[in-house]
Amino acid sequence: MTALLRRYHFIVPYLLLTPGLIWLAIFYIYPSIQMFISSFWSGSLEHGFTFSLANVHNYTDGLSRYQEQIVRSVFFAAAATIATFLISFPLAYTIAFRAGQYKNLLLFLVIAPFFTSFLLRVISWRTILGDDGLLLGPLKSAGLVSDDVRILATPVAVISGIAYNFLPFMTLPIYVSLEKIDKRLLEAGQDLYATPWSAFRKITLPLALPGIFAGTLLTFIPAMGDYVNAELLGQTPATKMIGNVVQSRFLVNNDYPTAAALSFILMAGILVAVAVYARLLGTEELMSSAG
Amino acid sequence: MTTVALQPAARSHGTPAQRIRRWLGHNALFVYTFAAIVYLMLPIAVMILFSFNRPAGKSNFAWREFSFDAWLNPFAPLGLSDAVMASLRIAFISTIVATILGTLIGLGLTRYVFRGRAATNLIIFLPMATPEIVLGASLLTLFVSIGMARNELTILIAHIMFNISYVVVTIRARLAGFDRRLEEAAMDLGATEMVTFWKVTFPLIFPGILAAAMLAFSLSIDDFVITNFTAGSTVTLPMYIYGATRIGVPVQVNVIGTIIFGTAVGAVLLSTLLQRRDRAA
Amino acid sequence: MSEQHPSLFDRALTRRRMLQGTALAGVAAFLAACGTAAQSVAPSVAPSVAASEAPSSGPSQAASPSPAASATPKPSPAAELNFANWPLYIDQDSSNPPKSPTLEGFTKKYGTKVNYRETINANEDFFGTIRPALEAGQDTGWDLVVLTDWMAAKIIGLGWVETIDTANTPAFAANESDNLRNQPWDPDNNKRAPWQSGMTGLGFDSKVVGSQTSMAALWTADPRWKGKVWLLNEMRDTIGLTLLKLGKDPATATNADCDAAIAEIKKALDGGVVRSFLGNDYKEGLIKGDLVLGTAWSGDIIQAQLEKASLKFVIPSDGGMIWTDNMLIPKGAAHKYTAELMIDYVYDPTIAAQIAAYVQYVSPVKGSKEAIAKNADKTVAALGQNPLMFPDAATLAKTHIFKALSADEDKYFNDQFSTLQGN
Repeated sequence: MTALLRRYHFIVPYLLLTPGLIWLAIFYIYPSIQMFISSFWSGSLEHGFTFSLANVHNYTDGLSRYQEQIVRSVFFAAAATIATFLISFPLAYTIAFRAGQYKNLLLFLVIAPFFTSFLLRVISWRTILGDDGLLLGPLKSAGLVSDDVRILATPVAVISGIAYNFLPFMTLPIYVSLEKIDKRLLEAGQDLYATPWSAFRKITLPLALPGIFAGTLLTFIPAMGDYVNAELLGQTPATKMIGNVVQSRFLVNNDYPTAAALSFILMAGILVAVAVYARLLGTEELMSSAG
Repeated sequence: MTTVALQPAARSHGTPAQRIRRWLGHNALFVYTFAAIVYLMLPIAVMILFSFNRPAGKSNFAWREFSFDAWLNPFAPLGLSDAVMASLRIAFISTIVATILGTLIGLGLTRYVFRGRAATNLIIFLPMATPEIVLGASLLTLFVSIGMARNELTILIAHIMFNISYVVVTIRARLAGFDRRLEEAAMDLGATEMVTFWKVTFPLIFPGILAAAMLAFSLSIDDFVITNFTAGSTVTLPMYIYGATRIGVPVQVNVIGTIIFGTAVGAVLLSTLLQRRDRAA
Repeated sequence: MSEQHPSLFDRALTRRRMLQGTALAGVAAFLAACGTAAQSVAPSVAPSVAASEAPSSGPSQAASPSPAASATPKPSPAAELNFANWPLYIDQDSSNPPKSPTLEGFTKKYGTKVNYRETINANEDFFGTIRPALEAGQDTGWDLVVLTDWMAAKIIGLGWVETIDTANTPAFAANESDNLRNQPWDPDNNKRAPWQSGMTGLGFDSKVVGSQTSMAALWTADPRWKGKVWLLNEMRDTIGLTLLKLGKDPATATNADCDAAIAEIKKALDGGVVRSFLGNDYKEGLIKGDLVLGTAWSGDIIQAQLEKASLKFVIPSDGGMIWTDNMLIPKGAAHKYTAELMIDYVYDPTIAAQIAAYVQYVSPVKGSKEAIAKNADKTVAALGQNPLMFPDAATLAKTHIFKALSADEDKYFNDQFSTLQGN
């Protein structure tokens, strides 16, 4: 068996990929093709839908009608990703290098809040961020903020909701890439370079790049299509994202073609963004060279 | 608890000024980490607190009085225990299957150069970029068109599907920059490919697998939209809670949340303490 | 026609095919052992019932007369009934394990196991989950589902429900509230049976905003409630109440009326008075104090009053809306006859009182008020006097029903309302 594998070594990657890719082919790609077809539909649930390539205007109409929500999604997702990174990196760094035997415990504390229900966390956040809640209540009674200030139903609430929600998706990948760094390398670096900062910049950061890249993807991509935070913490027309539009087009208006077209616009946009980002960061080369 | 764990780095080199700065730097890191953990725990603390509430009505939004009522009878609301069990079963099985499939893809993608690699990368990113509602709806259409009854199995299929991508991306963060020479050394020493994998490769990537599995578990146990489409008559915990908001989420839901959180953290705490005792002994 | 009703044989086959096809037999066996996956296999009683219960009406069957229908002996109750409802929408006894006296009673009477699932959490979401099966002419897996009028009207309009054989439902025929009968979208009163009704009006915290009786308050930038006002995200409730404020009748709303209502709501939004469009979430905000005034559902406020006594519900002087959640038998349901038995069972005034005492919405069953007043528990008996659960004729006269919109109107209204909400 081993000898056979060694002889036909080129086949090994395919063997590794096949089970997962078959799963995705049946349960993702095939349904997606159907969805792509439905983005060229016109008609209604009551009168039936018909396919025509001329309905490519579903895409252009969607783009122009929901421009505002698309731009807002990019902004919210980017802001949340940056916030998540700023919180996650020091956290992951501490867990990887300074937590000693409590490493696993801290790591679990980062993910365990997400083993509970999203709605429970939202209800808790609403208690904390409420107009007279745990945060604003004391500030208001101390006269530090004016009485009509609120966090809920503002973009801040949505961005912080997304940032909180995707925190482990940034922290864990950064942690796994930091954790494998040889500590002697860091110590050598600290001796070599004048300041801890330059040692960090020249050694730790480059080695953590694959983790940062992975964390950013796991945060930014789903955040772009997120709708629950805008739905439950935003709750105003001025905080709706493209995910909310897809949701409402699909469920409320039974406008399946527009929902599908918007999804593909979103996916295409994300793919372009990821490609540009990978090039900027140089991660693709870094990841390829691992092979 | 975090501050106890973190040993301030006492290094002897550098000028006094550098040492002070370094000390400050390290402590800033501890303070920052502590604050981040508090931030993460804040909503959980509120959730736990409200599991001890005795609300006057059916909803559990305003604090009224301390009570063990819900804890003594955690499965009192009709349908709640079925929902919890379904969610746990689905989360465990989908995590295991997705972690295995995703790890294999991750290994294939980072360690081999082969035809179709770019296409595979694309297929991995796309499911994460697809809005859940469309993912759920198109899967349902597929199940209906092949005449497949919707039940726990279809939920499981869906969860494995959306978890694979997350596992692959996480595993790759660990595998990138992996030193192949370690494996080559093992093989030179006479280890077979299988032995090398289990003795060298697997331990090195294990933290990545664990992290990926935890992310997958958290995604599965909390998924609402895709589950709702593929569930048939099965009700999962997020579906139960989402629906219960119409009248009021029962206190017992907080109890269940607390138990799941407490079990996860408690198990790790226990193993940490046991390890420490072993080391001390 | 046999295609319409997948028999036990078909279902079992489907299941087997599925197991082979996906090569997941191991996992499936585990799940089956866990007890929940097996429910897709119908029990042995099902086929005979399904076969004898072929619907005698409906456009698709019109061509094939079924003379056998009347000759068929009365069917017997099936071994199981798959009932989908909203969570916490039936009486429950929180014993261990929890039970619903109503469902227990049904099982005792007919020997039918009720697979009661609280799986409906929004009309649109649930419709999304049953639509593909209905479109494909398949059994949805449900025998009885509960949906709000407008969604019920839509599904009836699409021809996706079974006609209730009223010969099997004498209590329903006799006890349904008169004001709910013969809706324009169900002229023969046999496509749906009301489950519970509710009223939409003004909800507020009287401690903060005092006493309010007019919709105009939602357009007034009073510092006591500016920025703490919500509107329901249900199109018919919010547009309906706004039309009433404008002096128009929601029962005859046109597209132009819709535009006028949207423009009116925009004013309140732009003035910063209205903060959010909300579904069930408003109750939480109201209890926590982030919201103090808005459009609300009667049953919610009764519930929330227990947590905050200063909460009030009024039918505004402009008029209020009334809506109903309805039981429907989806097309192709495997246990239609048993579903009819269930409909009839909950129209027994005693059973209806039992449900109403728990869910505290408006019961559609005549005699439930008298039945609840006889309850031994004084607090329960007092509910018989609650005007929000048993509204008097004067209150009912102030409530309006939203027009049964045509498909095109429905699309237009929803589109405008979605845009207003930013999606």
